Amino acid sequence: MDNQFLINVSNISFSFDGNPDHKVLENISFASGVDEFVSIVGPSGCGKSTMLRIIAGLIKPLSGKVLYKGTEIKHPIKDVAFVFQDFALMPWLNVLDNVKLGLSYSDLSDSDKTNRALDLLTKFGLSGFSGAYPNILSGGMKQRVGIARAIASEPRVLLMDEPFSALDELTANSLRSDILFMLHNKDISVNSVIMVTHNVEEAVELSSHIVILSEKPTKIKEIKEIDMKYPRNKHDKRFSGYVDDIYNTLISQY
Amino acid sequence: MENLITTTLTLLIDTSYSWIRMFLALGLSIVISLFVGIYAARSKRAEKIIMPLVDILQTLPILAFFPFAIYLVILFVPGAVGVNVAVIGLIVTSMIWNIIFGVYESIKTIPKAVLEVADLYRLGILSKLRKIFIPAAMPRVIGQSILSWSIGLFYLVTSEIFSTGSTNYTVSGIGVDLTRLAFSDNYYGYIIGIVIFFCFVIITRFAFFSPLEKYFNRTQKQYVSTEDDHTKFISGGNVKSSAGAFVKYIKSNLRSFGLSNMRSWINSIYAAVKEYRRILAISLLVVLSLIGFLYALNILNGTLASYEYQSLYALAYSFIRVWGTFFAIFLISVPVSIYLIFLTKNIGRYVLLFQILASIPATILLPIIVRSTMSMPFHSEIVAFVVLFLSGIWYMIFSVIASHGSIPSETNEVKNIFGVRGLLAFKKIYLKAITPGLITGAVTAIAAEWNATIVAEYFTSSGIQNGTVLSSVNIGVGKLLDLTLNSGNLLQMLIVLINFVILIVVINRLVWNKLYNKVETVYG
Repeated sequence: MDNQFLINVSNISFSFDGNPDHKVLENISFASGVDEFVSIVGPSGCGKSTMLRIIAGLIKPLSGKVLYKGTEIKHPIKDVAFVFQDFALMPWLNVLDNVKLGLSYSDLSDSDKTNRALDLLTKFGLSGFSGAYPNILSGGMKQRVGIARAIASEPRVLLMDEPFSALDELTANSLRSDILFMLHNKDISVNSVIMVTHNVEEAVELSSHIVILSEKPTKIKEIKEIDMKYPRNKHDKRFSGYVDDIYNTLISQY
Repeated sequence: MENLITTTLTLLIDTSYSWIRMFLALGLSIVISLFVGIYAARSKRAEKIIMPLVDILQTLPILAFFPFAIYLVILFVPGAVGVNVAVIGLIVTSMIWNIIFGVYESIKTIPKAVLEVADLYRLGILSKLRKIFIPAAMPRVIGQSILSWSIGLFYLVTSEIFSTGSTNYTVSGIGVDLTRLAFSDNYYGYIIGIVIFFCFVIITRFAFFSPLEKYFNRTQKQYVSTEDDHTKFISGGNVKSSAGAFVKYIKSNLRSFGLSNMRSWINSIYAAVKEYRRILAISLLVVLSLIGFLYALNILNGTLASYEYQSLYALAYSFIRVWGTFFAIFLISVPVSIYLIFLTKNIGRYVLLFQILASIPATILLPIIVRSTMSMPFHSEIVAFVVLFLSGIWYMIFSVIASHGSIPSETNEVKNIFGVRGLLAFKKIYLKAITPGLITGAVTAIAAEWNATIVAEYFTSSGIQNGTVLSSVNIGVGKLLDLTLNSGNLLQMLIVLINFVILIVVINRLVWNKLYNKVETVYG
């Protein structure tokens, strides 16, 4: 297997009850390399989020493997972090402790962890909120905490499960820019992002590759490369061409 | 053999009597709860009065009022009817509170749009009740009724075996039968009785509650969320890693115990001492004012002062007994709850099992517990501990399970993605996640324990034999209430009850309300 890819998804099949006749995912293969942003799009309920959880090592596939730098992922690892759709902040921990949770793998002392978490909060414009509990934060702030938690342990791969779908458009736009900045900024550890989304425009705006999935049993219909420079202009003809093209592939009956 | 058949038949008939009382009480509780709960949820003025009242009533030791209630009811309605009315009334007072809360919360959480639709189509009050409020409340009503049934059984058995000195208030029922069988050394009969009781519990659960649950939950989401599919896999490896995490934790704590932290250590010790001094000062003030009060009372009326003194003394002893047992309940229910919520996939099955186990009231085992521990040292304290423990434990566990819906479904995933393990997971995730459930559970568990003191601390065979005292602690409020009833000293009973209620209300205000408020600011 080629090691130039950070994540290599190879022939993944999955069924919820373990029965090969009830497959949700069938022979899914794709890869994500350094500086790449891969989006997974597909119809509702086709197993996109399940796919992402298999990559994270949260769920075991029926068959196939997920490799990180050539080594099989069998359980969650430090280098692969996750951003959740509904933020998944622990309501009983304040913002600082939520971010520190992302440093659980780390050997840093508690005070070093606190300093690192405070640094991240400052970077994400949340410096005054370290002692606040999630219930007083807006959706955008919650997701910023979720992202700060995810990158706290300096992962190389970031998995994101519809990270902007619970946010209003303005907040989502600003967070999308943050993510792209992170991916292309050498000071930040994240080298590769895999995102599940149902928003085709968002996928075209952010991705280097888009994996288009079919209805169940879910297979890959096509992997589309988006060859446009960042930041991408939504009014560009090529942009809308990509969007139309992906929509057509999604609704096509093959 | 013939004897055995007669015993079995008697047991079957008497258990049926008990069950009729239970169904009557449950039906009455549901009807009253629907009206009170809906009214409180729909009328702001009613809400302000009803809900705090229900809140206080559910933590009061209602069982303690039973001797008094039975005394009053029989004054007006003599004979078997009076006793049955009192028994059913008592069971209602034990069943009703959590059903009212269930109705109230269901009505409060009806989406606004649904009510607007009702207004748009100009539904009348009856149509609203029939089409919106009652269907919205019923799933919770059934859920709460299952818990109420268990609580009711406890009171049923207790109320049946209740008896007072000269007058025998015993009614026909399984509680009386079991006590009689245990103390006439008819162990076969006792075992048959327990088996019959257990069968009735199982049949009621599966033939009565399960279909109702299924019917009323047909439009609701499944109890166990789909995320639980991942839970089993996710929980793998926890045990292995906890040892390593523990060593790491110790190391990091040792590291952090450096000079730089000395100041914060000193500060926190100083704060603790200050807090401790505050509590000490308040306690001293309370004790001094009580002594002053007693002294003043003694000058006015010596008898009243001695009653007050006895009440306080008994309450102090029972307080230690109740809270000591609660400590044991806490130690056991925390790991059990954590296992149920985070580490097993089969929470639904465990809940069913626990519901059935919880339906076996501690009081049904009381005769045999008393009998088997009789030769042991501190036998009365052991009996009291076992009864208090069994009375309280299920409240804690069910309360935590009920609160598990408010825990984010991705909690386990977050824990695993970020490698949160061992003690850190216990401290930052498990324990904090179940805290709201533990607090509500503690309130109800302690209330149940206080309730149970009346049978846990003093148990006589007067209802079935010659009034021999079979188990009696040295001193306690439950025992004192029993004794005052036996001697017909109504004045002293009232004084004990007033002190009892004041203690419970003060603890609610000082301890639980504070904790509730704290939790509310974080979890609310």
